[in-house]
Amino acid sequence: MKTTLRLIFGEIKRLITYKIIPVSIATMAIWVVIFLMVSSQEALELAPLLIFVDVGMMMILLIGASFHLEKQEGTIKSMMVMPVSLTQIFSAKLGASLVLAIESIVVVSVSLYFIHGITFNYPVLLLFILIAGAVHATLGFLLSLISKDFTSLLGWIMAYIFPFMIPSILFTFGIIDKKYEWLLMLSPSHSASNLIAVAISGEFNMGKILVASLYLVALTVLLCKYVVYPKFKDSAVRG
Amino acid sequence: MGTAFNIENLKFKYPTSKNDTIKGISFNVHEGEIFGLLGPSGAGKSTTQKILIKLLEDYSGQISYFGTDLKKIGKDFYEEVGVGFEMPVHFSKMTAIENMKFFSGFYKNTANYQELMERVGLWEHKDVKVGEYSKGMKVRLNFVRAMLNNPRVLFLDEVTNGLDPKNARIIKEIISEYRSNGGTVFLTTHLMNDVDQLCDRVGFCVNGNLYEVSTPRNLKIKYGKHEVRVEYRENEAIKSSVFPLQDIGYNNDFNTLLKEKEIETIHSGETSMEDIFIIVTGVDLK
Ligand SMILES: Nc1ncnc2c1ncn2[C@@H]1O[C@H](COP(=O)(O)OP(=O)(O)O)[C@@H](O)[C@H]1O
Ligand SMILES: [Mg+2]
Repeated sequence: MKTTLRLIFGEIKRLITYKIIPVSIATMAIWVVIFLMVSSQEALELAPLLIFVDVGMMMILLIGASFHLEKQEGTIKSMMVMPVSLTQIFSAKLGASLVLAIESIVVVSVSLYFIHGITFNYPVLLLFILIAGAVHATLGFLLSLISKDFTSLLGWIMAYIFPFMIPSILFTFGIIDKKYEWLLMLSPSHSASNLIAVAISGEFNMGKILVASLYLVALTVLLCKYVVYPKFKDSAVRG
Repeated sequence: MGTAFNIENLKFKYPTSKNDTIKGISFNVHEGEIFGLLGPSGAGKSTTQKILIKLLEDYSGQISYFGTDLKKIGKDFYEEVGVGFEMPVHFSKMTAIENMKFFSGFYKNTANYQELMERVGLWEHKDVKVGEYSKGMKVRLNFVRAMLNNPRVLFLDEVTNGLDPKNARIIKEIISEYRSNGGTVFLTTHLMNDVDQLCDRVGFCVNGNLYEVSTPRNLKIKYGKHEVRVEYRENEAIKSSVFPLQDIGYNNDFNTLLKEKEIETIHSGETSMEDIFIIVTGVDLK
């Protein structure tokens, strides 16, 4: 446990030193400015979208980039010859990446409370954000692991964002018809966006929540166990 | 002294490659010795090291570590072994000292990294980000990293590669001292100097095969040519003759030459490790 905590703190420190958390906070500052300029009603409508962009798109981008840097440094190999298991190393990475998700809802919650007096069901918001964050962090790792270099990483991220995230944003603006929603939910990002919307609006649709959460948790576990972790192990030994 | 590693008929194939990278090698590493694997680039030295440190697991053959099957040893293995990698393995945006503190934190028994960093001349650069280090400084920091847990067995992959002669000497001194204090070293190198100056025993590695494991001295006795080369002046030209060292005092040609000619130089020839490598393996080290 002590070792795992040490690993997680190491990861968080690294996310700060490597400007991943600072960049993320800087983008959140833009959201705060937007919240300052709009009405309470508009802020409430915008919040899910902003969180979705942050916990979805930014998460993939930042975790992908962060892990890409790490692959180049060879530090994982150095960690593999410590009395620490690879599972611990990987879990610590995943755990630390959730700091980005938590930071996102803290900024949104605090600013919406102080600017517009809006409150949410925070435990639900936290739970859903962790589910949404974990699946996107996993995707970030995955895309980074299958990329040879930074350019190809950007390519893969784009290749994910266009079919899997943009439609959700279009859907939020009502550009995609409601009847396609179930199809959209196949995209982990759309399912995540649903959970976020539910937590913010407080309009609980149990069926949707259940499907989305189970789907995302199962996807995260399966991806980690059968795809990301083996690839991670493979890449750690290389070079 | 016991046996640190016993390796029997080790074979290994990377999933992506067609043929075996390690083709059935056997050797052992005695406790308290410096064992060197000498061979040209691509021979399989780093691969062998990665197998011995349990990074590559799908090998065939038998490896035991102090009598226990390597495959049955858990993570505690890494409390005991120190690993020096060939490539940089540090957080480049963190300082050297931050890196050493981070890695030290995971071991029960830790070395005094200040002392080590002072010795390899890095202490004064401890607050510099590793990304700004030169190649040689990174190599030296890798070495300190390997020593962080006061290892019982030290693995060093091309430890002097990229170092200037002065720093190479300092590192070799520390390695010798470590061995004198009872440490065991497994090192890989393509430099015969490392073998000559450091290794108690050496194995020649080419193309996944291991040739001849012996002490540098025995190799020289076995394969070295022992001869005397005499350069002398004759009719304004410099000429040279070579005589076998054996029974040289009774060699009439040699004695006549010494008496009658104007001698310029006399050298006894000792075959270099590099030459012996070629004789044994048929392959050039470079
Ligand atoms: N991860 C890998 N996948 C496939 N082949 C590899 C890998 N690493 C090394 N090799 C190949 O294995 C052989 C031995 O490499 P290596 O052990 O690094 O040699 P050395 O350390 O003696 O220079 C080389 O032909 C190299 O190309
Ligand atoms: Mg090598």
